[in-house]
Amino acid sequence: MYKLLLCLRYLRTRYLAVISVISVMLGVATLIVVNSVMSGFSTKLRDRLHGVMSDVVIECPSYNGFPLHTDVMLERIRESSVGGEIAAITPTIEVFAMLQYRYPNGEGVTRPVHLIGVDAKGRSDVGGFSEHLTDPRLRADPTFALTPEARGRFEALNPLPRTVEPMPKPLAEGELPPPEAPPSLPRDPKAIVIGFAIGTYRQPGATSNTANKDMVVLAPGDTVSLMTIGGGRENPEPVHSSFVVNDYIRTEMAEYDSQYVYVSLDYLQTLRAMDNRATHIQIRLKDFSKARKVVGELRKLFPSGLYNVQTWEDKQSTLLSAIEIERGILNILLFLIIGVAGFSILAIFSMIVIEKTRDIGVMKSLGASNGGILAIFVGYGLLLGVVGCGMGTILGLTLTTNINEIEQWLSAITGQDVFNRDVYYFDKIPTNIQASNVTWINVGAILIAVVFSILPAIRAAWIQPVRALRFE
Amino acid sequence: MLRAVALNKAYRRHTHRIQVLTDLTLNVEAGEFLSIVGQSGSGKSTLLHLLGSLDRPDSGSILLNGRRIDDVGRRERDALRNKTFGFIFQFYHLLPELTMLENVMMPAMISNGIFSWMGRRRDARNRATAILERVGLGHRLGHRPRELSGGEMQRTAIARALVSGPKILFADEPTGNLDAESGGDIMRILESFNRDEKVTILMVTHNPEMARTTDRVVRMAGGRLADAPPAPAGSETGIPRGVVIAAA
Repeated sequence: MYKLLLCLRYLRTRYLAVISVISVMLGVATLIVVNSVMSGFSTKLRDRLHGVMSDVVIECPSYNGFPLHTDVMLERIRESSVGGEIAAITPTIEVFAMLQYRYPNGEGVTRPVHLIGVDAKGRSDVGGFSEHLTDPRLRADPTFALTPEARGRFEALNPLPRTVEPMPKPLAEGELPPPEAPPSLPRDPKAIVIGFAIGTYRQPGATSNTANKDMVVLAPGDTVSLMTIGGGRENPEPVHSSFVVNDYIRTEMAEYDSQYVYVSLDYLQTLRAMDNRATHIQIRLKDFSKARKVVGELRKLFPSGLYNVQTWEDKQSTLLSAIEIERGILNILLFLIIGVAGFSILAIFSMIVIEKTRDIGVMKSLGASNGGILAIFVGYGLLLGVVGCGMGTILGLTLTTNINEIEQWLSAITGQDVFNRDVYYFDKIPTNIQASNVTWINVGAILIAVVFSILPAIRAAWIQPVRALRFE
Repeated sequence: MLRAVALNKAYRRHTHRIQVLTDLTLNVEAGEFLSIVGQSGSGKSTLLHLLGSLDRPDSGSILLNGRRIDDVGRRERDALRNKTFGFIFQFYHLLPELTMLENVMMPAMISNGIFSWMGRRRDARNRATAILERVGLGHRLGHRPRELSGGEMQRTAIARALVSGPKILFADEPTGNLDAESGGDIMRILESFNRDEKVTILMVTHNPEMARTTDRVVRMAGGRLADAPPAPAGSETGIPRGVVIAAA
């Protein structure tokens, strides 16, 4: 009982120990904030990646497409043992292409892109397409039919050549004018959806708060040319076509927004002479936890070599692993902060033991055991750790919850964008407070506080009572 | 009651060895109020520490009611200090973070764990309050040591030493830091406990007048008891009660 009483009294009266409490508090708060932000980034990135990719994808290494026709493949998949796990399935073609267009000033631009041929509705059912379109009408009803605005602008920029009509003969008295010629057939331009960063560019020096920071390079209705590799031939031969920009796709991921363009699957199959073949099958599952099982079964149906069956996580494993490794290393480094706090506890406790030497002698003269003295100082370290962790957790959670407000305040004070929204395409700093993370941080910090109090506690416990009583 | 036989104790500092006690033998009767006097460095406090199990002799033995206590285990020694012995010191040695009442309750808190304390704290509080009232500090229970005078602190130390009803009280210069009046108050308190509760008291003092008020005085010099006249027949110690031994 005296141990608890003295621990609590030392906590209230030993102001030097406040330094230890503050050290632990700051370390714990920092760890919570950093872990929450990194977890938020990781979660947001995973969601974004998953948002543009399907749960499971079957891909063909050849640009010529799968050996089997798409309909045959889809039927086999639906009738397989895992057919019941599938919520949506669609074929796509994904090939490398060169996109050519003109800047508003007339300068020609040629750039490499990923050309994706999709069935608009099918790809939307799988997910990661229609929800990223910028035109709300196309988000609601995805299609490659040109919007009225795109068509109108296309026709305004590309008027039909006028035919020169002969001068009308003057009409004789009583003669009726000849009948008008029927209107000519409308042209059938092919629609293309381009990545937002392809169709726009950011003004130099613009910040996330600058109005009209994105300048339009390609607007709906503008014409682009695409050249890609044709399929179905012995030797690769280029094929090309013109398209009319119909809309942008904005995933807020730089890799996709600056490189991906989407056209109709049917048209691309025709252009590339692929018949009814595709290079990818995109699958959305009813329950993603069954992904491994589905992949395993599909690999039996479609053996590796000509078919590569993967989950989206497999495809992005390098990036996801890099994020986790970075997070792990950062945690280790940040725990060193608490390690520093531990050393401050060691130093401060050593001083307290020296200061309390005579009191230790008195307690021993009253019958306190070595174990009891040890328990006082270890308990004191535990108490400091608990108090520091408690305060640190409150501080960390408060900072994490209000991090965007703090960021805005800091940006306003410093005049610098603390969090450049263009780098990550996030509107605000993503955070994800995980109870398990907070718990482990607290456990680790308390453990460090206790461990670093053991050595001074042992010294206190083994002080000879006579020597302690004579201590000046 | 308490018997020291041929005690030897030396302190070592690097290669330097200082012999503090040499073949010291002493008997203390139950209920006796014994003074130990001598010059500084004669080994008085060392003798007190050995007898009170605060330290171990290099050789010799210490017996309490015929049973050796100098070679017992740590746990038993802690129990002796908690229940059988009481200590008061020249500089009081009260714990500054605790109130007077909490200081006096310390022996009871040390001997009880958290759960057993729950059942005994009321009784411990009552005993501590009673003994503080007896030493005239019933009105200062909630005060901390820094708010008390030297005499009041020493009275609190006496209360702490005697609250658990020990058999023997070891007092190392209890009045050494007090004025004459306060010292007199302390001596009266000690005498009352010796007379009423039959507490055996061993007191180290530099004050010969205070030593003369006790039952017996032994003088130490050079780590030994000073030469004494031969004991009368039937006397265990060989030193008559109430006789001051002249310096060697």
